[in-house]
Amino acid sequence: MAAIFRPSANLVATSLLLAGWFVLLGLLASWWFWPHTDYAQHLGAAVPQPVPFSHEHHVAGLGIDCRFCHSSVEQSANAGLPATHVCMTCHSQVWTNAALLAPVRESLARDEPLIWRRVADVPDYVYFNHSIHIAKGVGCQSCHGPIAGMALTYKAEPLTMEFCLSCHRNPGPQLRPRSALFDTQWQRGRDTPSPAQLLHDYHVPDRDLTDCSLCHR
Amino acid sequence: MSPLNSRAHLWRSLEEAGGDPGLLARATQEFPLLAKALADPVSRREVLKLMAACMAWSGLAGCDSKFGDALIPPVRMPVNVVPAQPNFFATAQVLGGYAQGIVVEHVMGRPLKVQGNPHHPASLGSTDAYAQALPLDFYDPDRAAQVCVRGNPSDRAAFEAAFSQERARLKARGGAGLRILTGSITSPSLLDRIQSLLLAYPEAAWVGWEPLSRSNAHSGARQTYGSALDTVAHLDRADVVLAFDADLLSTDPGRLRYARDLAARRNPARAKMSRIYAVESTPTLLGCVADHRFIVEPGEVERILPWLLDSVRSESPTAAPAGTRPSWMAALIEDLKSARGKVFIHAGAQHSAAVHAQVHLMNEALQARNATYTLIEAQNAASPAMPAELMRDMHAGKVTHLLMLDTNPMYTAPRSWDFAAALKSVPFSAALSRHLDETAQQTTWFVPLAHSWECWSDARAYDGTVSILQPQAQPLYDGMSPAQLVDRYLQTQSRSSESIVKDFWRPRLSGDFAQTFDTALAQGLLADTGARPSSVAPRASAAPASDSEKSGNPAAPAALSLVLRADPSLWDGRFANNPWLQELPRPLTKDVWGNPLMISPALAAQHQLGTGDVVRLRVGDASVTSPVIILPGQAPRTITALLGSGRAASGRVGDQVGVNFHPFNALPGTVRFEKTDAHMDIATTVHHGLLGAPSEQILRHQDLSEFLGADQTPSAAASPPAATLYQTHPQGPAQWAMSVDLNACIGCNACVIACQAENNIPVVGKAQVLREREMHWLRIDRYLAGDAAAPESFFQPVLCMHCEQAPCENVCPVGATLHDAEGLNLMVYNRCVGTRFCSNNCPYKVRRFNFYAFAHEQHRPRESWNPEVSVRARGVMEKCTYCVQRIAAARIEADRDSKPVGKVTTACEAACPTQAFTFGNLADPKSAVLARKRSPLDFAMLSEEATKPRTSYETKVRNPNPKLKGVA
Amino acid sequence: MSNASETLRADAPVIGPNLNLESMTDRISRIALRERAHAWWWIAFIPSAALTLLLIVAIAYLFYEGIGIWGVNWPVMWGFAILCYVWWIAIASGGTIISALFFLVHAEWRTSINRIAESMMLFGAAAAGIYPVLHLGRPWLFYWLFFYPNTMTLWAQFRSPLLWDFWALFTYVFASVLFWYVGLLPDLASVRDRAERGLKQRMYAVFAMGFRGSSGQWRHLRAVYGVMAAIMTPVVISIHSIVGLDFAGAATTGWHVTQFPPFFVCGALLSGFAIVLLLIIPLRRFLNLEDMVTGRHIGVLAKLLLTSSLLLAYAYLMDAFSACYGGNPGDLALLAARLHGEYAPVYWGAVLFNVLLPQLLWSRKLRVHIPTLMLLSLGVVIGMWMERYLIVVTSLSRPTLVSAWGVFHPTFWDWATLAGTVGLFLSGILLSVRFVPVVAMHEMRALIVSAQARSE
Repeated sequence: MAAIFRPSANLVATSLLLAGWFVLLGLLASWWFWPHTDYAQHLGAAVPQPVPFSHEHHVAGLGIDCRFCHSSVEQSANAGLPATHVCMTCHSQVWTNAALLAPVRESLARDEPLIWRRVADVPDYVYFNHSIHIAKGVGCQSCHGPIAGMALTYKAEPLTMEFCLSCHRNPGPQLRPRSALFDTQWQRGRDTPSPAQLLHDYHVPDRDLTDCSLCHR
Repeated sequence: MSPLNSRAHLWRSLEEAGGDPGLLARATQEFPLLAKALADPVSRREVLKLMAACMAWSGLAGCDSKFGDALIPPVRMPVNVVPAQPNFFATAQVLGGYAQGIVVEHVMGRPLKVQGNPHHPASLGSTDAYAQALPLDFYDPDRAAQVCVRGNPSDRAAFEAAFSQERARLKARGGAGLRILTGSITSPSLLDRIQSLLLAYPEAAWVGWEPLSRSNAHSGARQTYGSALDTVAHLDRADVVLAFDADLLSTDPGRLRYARDLAARRNPARAKMSRIYAVESTPTLLGCVADHRFIVEPGEVERILPWLLDSVRSESPTAAPAGTRPSWMAALIEDLKSARGKVFIHAGAQHSAAVHAQVHLMNEALQARNATYTLIEAQNAASPAMPAELMRDMHAGKVTHLLMLDTNPMYTAPRSWDFAAALKSVPFSAALSRHLDETAQQTTWFVPLAHSWECWSDARAYDGTVSILQPQAQPLYDGMSPAQLVDRYLQTQSRSSESIVKDFWRPRLSGDFAQTFDTALAQGLLADTGARPSSVAPRASAAPASDSEKSGNPAAPAALSLVLRADPSLWDGRFANNPWLQELPRPLTKDVWGNPLMISPALAAQHQLGTGDVVRLRVGDASVTSPVIILPGQAPRTITALLGSGRAASGRVGDQVGVNFHPFNALPGTVRFEKTDAHMDIATTVHHGLLGAPSEQILRHQDLSEFLGADQTPSAAASPPAATLYQTHPQGPAQWAMSVDLNACIGCNACVIACQAENNIPVVGKAQVLREREMHWLRIDRYLAGDAAAPESFFQPVLCMHCEQAPCENVCPVGATLHDAEGLNLMVYNRCVGTRFCSNNCPYKVRRFNFYAFAHEQHRPRESWNPEVSVRARGVMEKCTYCVQRIAAARIEADRDSKPVGKVTTACEAACPTQAFTFGNLADPKSAVLARKRSPLDFAMLSEEATKPRTSYETKVRNPNPKLKGVA
Repeated sequence: MSNASETLRADAPVIGPNLNLESMTDRISRIALRERAHAWWWIAFIPSAALTLLLIVAIAYLFYEGIGIWGVNWPVMWGFAILCYVWWIAIASGGTIISALFFLVHAEWRTSINRIAESMMLFGAAAAGIYPVLHLGRPWLFYWLFFYPNTMTLWAQFRSPLLWDFWALFTYVFASVLFWYVGLLPDLASVRDRAERGLKQRMYAVFAMGFRGSSGQWRHLRAVYGVMAAIMTPVVISIHSIVGLDFAGAATTGWHVTQFPPFFVCGALLSGFAIVLLLIIPLRRFLNLEDMVTGRHIGVLAKLLLTSSLLLAYAYLMDAFSACYGGNPGDLALLAARLHGEYAPVYWGAVLFNVLLPQLLWSRKLRVHIPTLMLLSLGVVIGMWMERYLIVVTSLSRPTLVSAWGVFHPTFWDWATLAGTVGLFLSGILLSVRFVPVVAMHEMRALIVSAQARSE
């Protein structure tokens, strides 16, 4: 009987089938790997803020301690953001009429707060506590990356559950001596105590750090 | 020790903390526009946005608003406010005029959770359901925000103008025609204001009207002792308690303290057990825990009492006409006499003065006074004029100015007053109340009442102790306190509630005022202001003659009688707009959202009534239709109606729920009762009628004799666990567990609301309760044993058992529920996909499911949620977590300075007035929970399921009088 | 057909005498190729399609509102979704048994009805397959039951029978599609060859995937089909045993009985055979297949129906026995409630339809008496649904803790979803009857050849 398709049809059919497979695999792969991309995790992108605050200038440059602005980081779950009043303690003296700082001055004048955008965010069902991490020797950089060098603040670590667990399963390498906790330039050196030693000093192994109840309530 | 003391450094007055009064204002600066926006009802949307902002700040960001990812630091950080750290401020909750000390927990200046004040005699650290529900009361979006004139929006200025004008006219004529109507008041500063007003306006009069009044008790005392007295009981000293229609555990000003003292004598493993006799027509909480419950018709008590009185006075029980004399009296009298000096006899406040008088005499005869109770000068001694006079004057048109302070007569007034008509005859009337309620809608002027968390005030406790009430946040609405309004008659310019309170106390406090006052605020009470026991003696002519005749003619058996009771959930109706309380299963009937008439099984049978059938109730010419619910243990011819429902203008939650029975208060005429063919579904949380006797597997109970007979070896719970094939979970530094003492539980529901408030548990509404979807993590199961006419009842709080071999964990396909190293059975909400297999597999059925987005549909400001607990989404399973957020806080605090974790108190444990719950760490050999689990009474629920629950119970023991075996 | 009556005798041959290769292939292909469908087809299809639409509405509303729209409550957390899932899976499994198991044992009678059995398996599985997802409180997260590298580093939980059920179902649906399609290839090819040039032919050509009947292709096809059949048989047993395990593995009163897996498989057989009967009896009539689907087939199916109903009877007895033997008060209370309590109607309904009525089939006459068979099969389908209701709902409403007893009331949306899946199933069957050869022609040919050989 007469052929229904031209011979080329075979090629078309085969390639279509193959293409179908590739599309399927492609979709599967993207579904798997998309969440791992920097884009999906908002890594490295500076968030627009009411005032282009520069950690680089204030921390690396002027050497202001983290706790000067984030005052409750050692006592509370919440590191705390500086009240307008705190900014003005200096800026009522320096850069008093810098245009960049107008919003700050207005906030104080109008008695209306500055509204900053969250940079390092975790979902609402994650109860991260700053104070315990500081108390156990985890430095700011472990989660906030090279914050001291950021001209504009951006998210440097994924802060996914994977990220948290990677440390909760093996905290040692992230721990620092107490003295170096807020030293933004600190590097693990030859004289630094070994991770095992630090774990022991901070009594970290006393509890199972992968219990769900540690972060989820 | 109490959680408060452990955080004492946080727990002090705002005054002390800030040193300047403006502090409160700034404590809310995380959302400075909030107060403004809230004050302006039109911009509710704005409010939500702002609230979302606060959420973001406290880590509970509402992703759906533009503030979702916002961080909003205050312009000035208030002193002593640490982001996301709680502060605690003492104040008091005032109900029916009397104070119970509470402590309010704040996060970022937002009052969020109520706890008892351990220093306060009426609280000792515990609270009732009403206090627990206060946060929702405070954040109630339906609260009135604006001054109204004849129902139309107006403003303070206009009111001030009109007011001062009227004041001038009144002043001129010495206050003639001015009447002030209030509820019962113990506030010294307010009483002082009123007194000085009465001095300044000699013609004016102050009238007191409290629907659940204690005036009968006072006049009873007057009959006996010649002056109004309050009774302060010490139930822990009483071996035998006899109560007639007791309100000791329900509405008495000392209820929390009494519950604590009573429970101290109810567990034979810990103390010599007391014996409780309850004589009542409708079941009360005390009746349910009593060892003997004698059911009598309301009239009966008047008949029985004289005999009882004579019998306890004379040596031999006086003979009464046979048949009319209850069979149980002889044994009872004997028991009372043998316990001379260790007896306490009590009559509910609604009883007639005569009954109270006779009870006083019986107590005297048994040398109980100053042994098991003391008498003190009545707290609202400066007793106002009776409402009757007011009504007479109003109807006579003698009243030109009527000022109603935090009272709602249009709703609560008895029908006989015909208040509506009377009010029309008053040219200038002003109502000060929290909502634009039934009364406020009828008055010339309406002024929003400041919530007790928004203004300064003071009040006395049942024993006279004074508490200063301090504001807990910047006012959400522009309200006035009663004292402020009264004060406006005396001062030309208005004073702040703060200065009124302070100016009152400044001359009255010894030592450095500022310091004493701050201590008082920090402690929540003014030290030793408790009233001294008065040393009055009963008058010779005290024995009321009238009653002995009455005892001759027994109440006609055919007659029905209607008794009105305070609603265990809604009090007298002031809480009607509080969804937590509307959906709180009533202790005895477990019904919610409505107040069906409670009738006895006998009456139901006689009229072929089933629960939910609608009847028409007539008293004289008044009539009303209401569904009925069958209540075993109810006196056959008695119908019980709960006050507090049927509000017309309480707010979006409480309106048109149930029937208002206030008009039937003291209504003369015979009670008639016919069936209609209507039926109304009654939402109860017991889905197949009231429960029969519980099996040994579920709830164990025994008599004291059995207990004493049995060997008192510590229970298995404390002994090392037997070897098991199951995998056992790794042991962390702490092992959490709970013990629930069934002897202590009085079913008061404080724990249920405490749990709901702490854990962001949504309400679901009547329709969903009817579909068996209530969400309470902690429920109190009620069981009945014996015959339905006079059953023995049991309360059993049921929460997650945190089984060591939890059946729920094996069946979850995504591992959303699993164990942690400290023995907690965790529920990770955000991992749950909602297969609901865990609930099927839970023998205790303690898991609840979000069939809809209940939490987000709830009509509730978002800032009132507890930021420490996830708000669960639709399609997610949830359950009791042993307050894991509190455990986490303690754990972090301990780990921070590497010390063993301290005492953790769950919300239910903290609230419980009787300390039925004990939560703690089994790994700590000194922990209270371990001690309780060692009790010989300890047992595990459904132990056959081999789930090894971490929550165990203590067997219910009753102490019946051997001589009354087999006697009704 | 004149010989309709004698083809209906139970001892009739598997194929009519005057059936030869040509006529058979022609007739079957013509059914697929005819220009416009029969009136009866439209009469059946339109309501089915309407129900399918209803299903779509119900699902959309479910996603919008949440499963609160169903009757499920506390304590009856599982309702229609699970019981209908079990019910449909049973029906699908029955189809698989016929087409796979009886293929392996070379049962001649299976040949002419296996295509219908397979379609039934396919669309039964489809109807069943949507339920487990809809059942979830957060259906859009169903993929959390798979293993995939997520940023949470979380895996599914192996100990849960539900997880295995999910995978078994996934495997089953996937395998059924393949099995059905592989068996279909040569027939699509024959239809293609008979179609006149045009779109229709091209379509068949595409789906036939260039099957030209070369010996190589036949060899491969036979191998694949045989292997698939060998796989399907254990798969179908496993899927339904695992469904049984969902219940047997739970500590719930009335569920934790070890016999559940086999018990469920018996149920599957019963409902499967019933539905096949319900389908082939009208189809042989409407499509004039009397000489291909003869009394022999019907008789055999009737016998199988009887057998499986006896197996089920045993299961029922064991269920009651184990309750009494175990003596667990909860189980006893539940049993009482079923025998003479509020659930008695459902229980005895199930017994009547699944066990008692099928006993009529002991009579040789009734085994080929069309109306009886139709009614019996219909009864069985209903009876099986009742049984699932009994297992899922009534067990849950009577937990050990009396204070948690409750009642289940299905809502409109429960029924709508059930009706919708019925619509889905029927539309699927009807479409396949319309466009796909209703009888596996290539297998029929083999049968005809051997029959002719025997006759000579």
